[in-house]
Parts: sequence; structure tokens; C-alpha cells
Amino acid sequence: MTVETVGFWLVAAVLLASSLAVVLTKNLFHAVLYLAVALVATGVVFLLLESPFLFGVQLLLYAGGVVTIVVFAIMLTERLVGERITQTSRHVVNGAIVSAAVFVAVVGFLLQAGAPAPVTERPDQLAGLGRALVGPYAVTLELLGVLLVAALLGAIYFARADD
Amino acid sequence: MSLPLAVLALPFVSFVLLAVVPPLRRAGRVAGGVSIAATAVAFVCALATWQGHLEGEQLVPWIPGDAGPMATVGLLVDPITNAMLVLVTLVSLLIQIYSLAYLSDEPSPALGRYYTYQSLFAFSMLGLVLSPTFLQMFIFWELVGLCSYLLIGFWYQRPAAARAAVKAFWITKLGDLGFVTGIVMLWAATGTFEFSTLFRMGAAGQLPAESLGLILFLIYLGAVGKSAQFPLHVWLPDAMEGPTPVSALIHAATMVTAGVFMVTRAQPLFALVPDLVWLIGTVGAFTALLAASMACVEHDIKRVLAYSTVSQLGYMMAAAGAGAADAGFFHLLTHGVFKALLFLAAGSVIHAVGTNDMFRMGRLWHGLPHTGIVFIVGTLALAGVWPLAGFFSKESILAAVWGAGRTGTFAVLALTAFLTAFYMFRAVFLTFFGHAHAGGHPHEAPWPMRGPLWILAILTLVLGLAFLASPPPAVEAHHGPGWLGPFSLGLAAAGLALAWAMYQQRAIAPASFSRVLAPIDFAARRRYGIDALYLGLYKGLILGFSKLIGLIDRYLVDGLVNVFSALSLRSGDRLRRIQSGQVHDYVYGVAFGVLLVVVFAHWWAR
Amino acid sequence: MSLHGYLTLGALVFAIGLFGVVTRRNAVGMLLGIELMLNAVNINLVAFSRFHADLGGIVFSLFTIAITVAEVALGLAIVIVIFRVRKTIEADRLDLLRG
Repeated sequence: MTVETVGFWLVAAVLLASSLAVVLTKNLFHAVLYLAVALVATGVVFLLLESPFLFGVQLLLYAGGVVTIVVFAIMLTERLVGERITQTSRHVVNGAIVSAAVFVAVVGFLLQAGAPAPVTERPDQLAGLGRALVGPYAVTLELLGVLLVAALLGAIYFARADD
Repeated sequence: MSLPLAVLALPFVSFVLLAVVPPLRRAGRVAGGVSIAATAVAFVCALATWQGHLEGEQLVPWIPGDAGPMATVGLLVDPITNAMLVLVTLVSLLIQIYSLAYLSDEPSPALGRYYTYQSLFAFSMLGLVLSPTFLQMFIFWELVGLCSYLLIGFWYQRPAAARAAVKAFWITKLGDLGFVTGIVMLWAATGTFEFSTLFRMGAAGQLPAESLGLILFLIYLGAVGKSAQFPLHVWLPDAMEGPTPVSALIHAATMVTAGVFMVTRAQPLFALVPDLVWLIGTVGAFTALLAASMACVEHDIKRVLAYSTVSQLGYMMAAAGAGAADAGFFHLLTHGVFKALLFLAAGSVIHAVGTNDMFRMGRLWHGLPHTGIVFIVGTLALAGVWPLAGFFSKESILAAVWGAGRTGTFAVLALTAFLTAFYMFRAVFLTFFGHAHAGGHPHEAPWPMRGPLWILAILTLVLGLAFLASPPPAVEAHHGPGWLGPFSLGLAAAGLALAWAMYQQRAIAPASFSRVLAPIDFAARRRYGIDALYLGLYKGLILGFSKLIGLIDRYLVDGLVNVFSALSLRSGDRLRRIQSGQVHDYVYGVAFGVLLVVVFAHWWAR
Repeated sequence: MSLHGYLTLGALVFAIGLFGVVTRRNAVGMLLGIELMLNAVNINLVAFSRFHADLGGIVFSLFTIAITVAEVALGLAIVIVIFRVRKTIEADRLDLLRG
């Protein structure tokens, strides 16, 4: 039992539990908080996978940004409705069957390939990432910037006050 | 080559002028003046070309090809072209002058239209005779056909005229189909359309012997349609629905001779296939006899002349079939003159009495002495009476056929000559003598009509005298036996006598005569059932085929279409329900899609 | 820990997210499910990257995260607009596109 294995099982437990909580909780606000937990746990998984940079990004953008936005949205809608939003689920059995089927199919497909040999030498991740972003992925990065601007404009357009 | 080019260009300029300047066309008589002036100058040019012996050939490349031009255009002037140029321009000129008076009742725009067509026709016909290649000839050939259609249908308000125009167009097209197929096949075999090259190749034996027969037969079909040979002769009598000058110009003197002209032009090629020549001669002789017998029972004076034209065209073809295309061509020229004369004279008669039916005429001699004299001159010429022009040409044909040893054809042609004299004098006696039936006081036509008549009559006479003084080459070439001249004169005299006895003296009742020859009389009055046959074929085949297609379209095609439309409607209605508008259902769809892909990938990997 | 462990974890989270998307009535709840699914994808990407020593996976997950943020922002904006117009965010009652 290495440190990594122990950490993996711990994080996996937290991640799965919080994920289930996200989809099962009645209270929407609580669901968002569980989502934050799940996102942080995912970040820890990244850490276990030796990607500290991604862990930082996950924490800042996801756990920080997304959760904040969702909380804002919920509060906004609650204020408009004037009551707490509780959420219910429907067709739980159907959903469970479909999800289980997808899980079995995907895992079955992924696991039929043999495990690759673990790589020993590790490249300098951060420097490599920087080079990759301005090198082979430069155009993609720029396109991403365009997408973000478009999303920003779209969000502003949708959220504008009626006039 | 500038003079022949001028002959060709002048009518064209006139046509374009009339076609694109509507005020000029609508002016009617002014348009006629333009057309007549152009044709007159063209006639002078043609005369100069003839007298100057400006013969030769000029070709310019037209369709470029990898190895030299694929097709050429140009002008070919030789003795037969020269003769045709003079004939066409002369007859056109006289008929255009005649039409000024004949069609004076027409409104101005219609008259302008008439002269526009006339100019186009003169251009097309001149282009046809000047063509040095089969392709160019075919183009003008079709233009001529178009003009024929337009002019027959000149009174397009009349259903009969419109029908006749369409009939003429379609039936000649039937032959033209063979013509164009033959030309293209000839080109495929030799790579050229040019007459001179083809003749050279023919003389050198370079033409493909096995396919040449079929090719020339197809080309001959064009002549069958255009020159109204059996069995495509049915359009010509109906074409008499057009104005009489048109009948004279197109359906007697010039256009219908295009087929004979073509056979004459391509004579060196046809001579290579003796079987085909035999066929041409046989069909020609048969046509001559058939048409002559139909002319004997016809009541309509113009139709008598039309059948007579068909008959004479058969004569010319029979000459070509005896290897004497020059004799046939010679007859074409003289016939062009006196048949135009006969038609114009008949027009003058119709103008005076207002009917085409000969049995409602009679004793017109007193009212119409000028017309009567010229009509009789024309009749004598057509019957082949010495010393008129027709005598010499008919004589040379008979001599050539006899010389070629074709006794059967000779006998048929001799019988035809007898019938020709009979039906022509029958027309003369019924129209100008006999018993008065026509009411009112018929009066002579004005001078613009009488002038051309006299010119043509004098020409018929003078030509005959000129031939007497210096026999033309065609007569020189075909000397018959000594008894031939008296024999054919005797035939003409017998025909005259019979007609005189039956229709003037009434010594023999026509009814008893037709009783004796009951089957022939019965068949000839019904045009030997050929028109009915075509009608039946048309109704049976084309309409039956159309009905079949209609049924297939209505039930099979429409049914299939309806089935498909019903299917797509129903399935569309079912598919519509998939689109529930519920996001969840779509997510389910995506999930199933993923499952499908994964399962497929599993299966694929294995 | 082997690659397969991470992949199984990712697939599990993905399935849970899918379950959330399919069962939630609330549009915001559905969005949360989608977030979970995207996270699962990121886990896969980073795991592959780690075990193949290829930076491409990391770069892609970076892009995924950025795009997800944009998507959430837009999705929530749409939710708010729908709410304003229809006075509900129950996805069941949103069937304007019904065929």
C-alpha cells in the first residue's frame, strides 16, 4: 500500500459520495455545495496524477468560478420565485438503468485493453505545457479565446434587462 | 466569286432589312418593293454569272478540327448551279411582282410578312444551289423547308392552311431525317462533306463500298420527302392551301425541285450504287403514273397542277434512275418555267372567279383571253408538244430511258405522258371552254399579274425555239430512235383528243368511262388510300402509343408517386412524435447512441 | 495505482452525472449533472496523459475546463431567461420544440 494507493481510494470514496449527493439531494443549494466538494476531490485526483498545475486550475476556475456562478444563479432565481427551490427527480429507475448500462459498456470497453507499462521518466510538466500552448496548440488557444468572448457576449445578451 | 455571292447576299439583305425594321415591313407594298428590287438585282447578277461562265469553287474552314477543318462552307458555281440561279431568281422575281396584284387585298402588315418570307425563301434556295458541301446544303435545305411551312401557313387563320403547313413540314422532315443521318454517316466514313472531295474519292474507289448503299439511300430519302416522291408525296397537294403565287414558286418551280437538284448534284456518288439508281428510277416512274392518275379525277384546278408537279418530279427522278440526271435536270429547268406559268395562270383564273373548283368554271375564254392563251401555252408545253420547251426535255428523258434499255419504265412514262396531256386538256376544256357555269362577269387581272404571265409564256415558247436552233447538251446527249418524237406527239394528241371528246363534245360520258375503269377510278378518287393510311397509322400508332404512355403515366408513375408521398407523409407523422421537446428524452437518445457506438466498437475490435 | 483504476473512477462519475442529467427535473440540476460528466472526462484525460507521458491530455483538459466555464455561464444565462419568460425552470414543462 503506497501513499498513492491509499490516497486514491480515499479520494475516490469522497468523489463518488459527493457526486451521488449532487444528483440525489433535494435541496438545490446543497447540491451545489456537494458539487464543490466533488470538484475539489477531482482536483486531488489530478494531484495524485502528478499534475499540480491542473489542480490549481481546477480549484480556481471550477471550484471557485463555476460554483460561485451557480450559487448566484440559484439565489437570483429564488429571489424571483420568492421561495426555496427544491428539486425532485423523475424516472429514477430508468435513469439508473441507462447510466449503469453506459458505465458497464464504457468500462468494459476501456478495460479490454491491457494496462500500459508505467512511465518512469517524467518531463517537466509546466514548461512543457507552456510550450505546447504557444506551440502546436496556439491556434486552438486563440480559438478558445474567441469562444470565451462569444460566451461572454451571449451571457450579457441573455441576461440583459428587458426594455 | 463576288457575283454569285451578290446573288446570295441580296435576298438575305432584303430579308434582314424587312425582318428587323418593322415599320418597313408593315408598310406592305414598300416591303414588296424592297424585296422585288433585291431579287431583280440578284437576277441580273445571276444572268451575269451565267453569261460570264464564272465557274469555280471557294471554300473557307468553318468548324476547326485537329487535322484540318471538320467542315467547310463556301460557294460552288458550275453549269447546273448557274442554270438554277437564273431560274430561281427569275421565277422569284416574276412571282413577287405577280403577288403585288394577287395579294392586293391583304392588309399591309401581312403583305410585308409575305415579302419577308419570300426574301428568306429566295436566299435559302439560292444558298442551297450554291452549296459546295452536303452540310451547307442541308442547312439551306431545312431553311427552305421552314419557308415552305411559313408560306403554306401564310393564311394561318384558316385551319386547313395551318394543318397543311404542319403536314408539309412533318412529312418532309421524315425524309430529312434520313438525309441528315446519311450525311453524318457519310462524314463518319470519309471525314468530309465536300462534293468535290467526295467525287474524287468516289472516282478513286476510296469510298466504303459496303455502307455506301445505305448512306446514299438515306440521303435519297431527303429527296423523296422534298421532291414529293411516293410514298411521301401526300403533302404537296395539301400545300395548295397557301396563296397561289406561293404554290407556283415553292411547290412547282423551285423548292420541290431541290430533291432532283440534289440527286443531280450528287450524281457521281449515286452512280456508284446501281441498285439505288434503279430504285430511284422505279420509284420516280411509279410516282409519275400514280400522281397522273390522281390528277385525272381531281376537281380543284390547283390540285390538278399539284399532282401534275408530283408526276413531273417523278419523271425527273426516272431520268436520274436511267443514269441521265442531266436530262432530268433539263426537264427541271423547263418545267420550272412552264409550271410557274400554269400556276400563275390558274391563280389568275381563281382571282377572277373566286373558286378552285373546275366544274364551277367554264367559258372563261371570253372573259379571260390573256390568261387562256398563256394557260394553253403552258398546257401544250407540259403535254410535250413541239416546239415548246417541254417537248425537248420530255423527249430527252424518254430517249434516255429508252437508251438505258429500261422498257418497263419507258412504258410507264409513255402512259404518264398520255395521261398528262389528258388531264391538262381536261382542265383547259373545263375551265376555258365547255359550258358556262361561272356567274358574274369575270375580268382579266391587272398588269402586274398579266406581265409575268406573258413573260413566262414567251419564255416557254422562245426557249423551245432556241432549243430547236441549238440543241442543249442534254438533248444532244440523249438521242432516241427516230420514231420517238412522233410517238410522244401522238400520245399528247391522243390525250388531247380524249379530253376534247369527253369534256368539250361530251361524245363520251366521263361517268361511263369511270365505270369501265371502276377500280382505278375508285382508288384514285380516294388518293389510293395513302392519306388515309397515314392518318390511320398516325391514329393507330402514335395516338395508341400516346394513350399507352398516358395510361402508364396516370396509373403506374402517378401511382408510384402517390404511394411514395403517402409513405413519407405517414412516416413523417410517426417520426414527428420522436421530437417531444423534452430535453430528457434527447439525453436518453444521446445515451443510447453512446451505447450503440460502444457496442459497435466492441464488435469491431473483435 | 494503475490506469484502469482511474478510468473506472472516471466512468463511475460519468455514469452518476448522466443519471443526474436524466433524472433531474430542474434545469439547474441538469447543469450540475453535466458538470460532473465533464469532470469525469477530465479525469480520464489526465490519467491517460500521466500513463503515456504525453502532455496533450493535460492541454485538452485545460481546454475542457475553460469551455465548461463558458458553457456554465451561458447555460445559466439561458436558464434565467427561460425562467423570466416561462416562470419555471422545470425541464418537464419546457416543450416548446415539440414536433
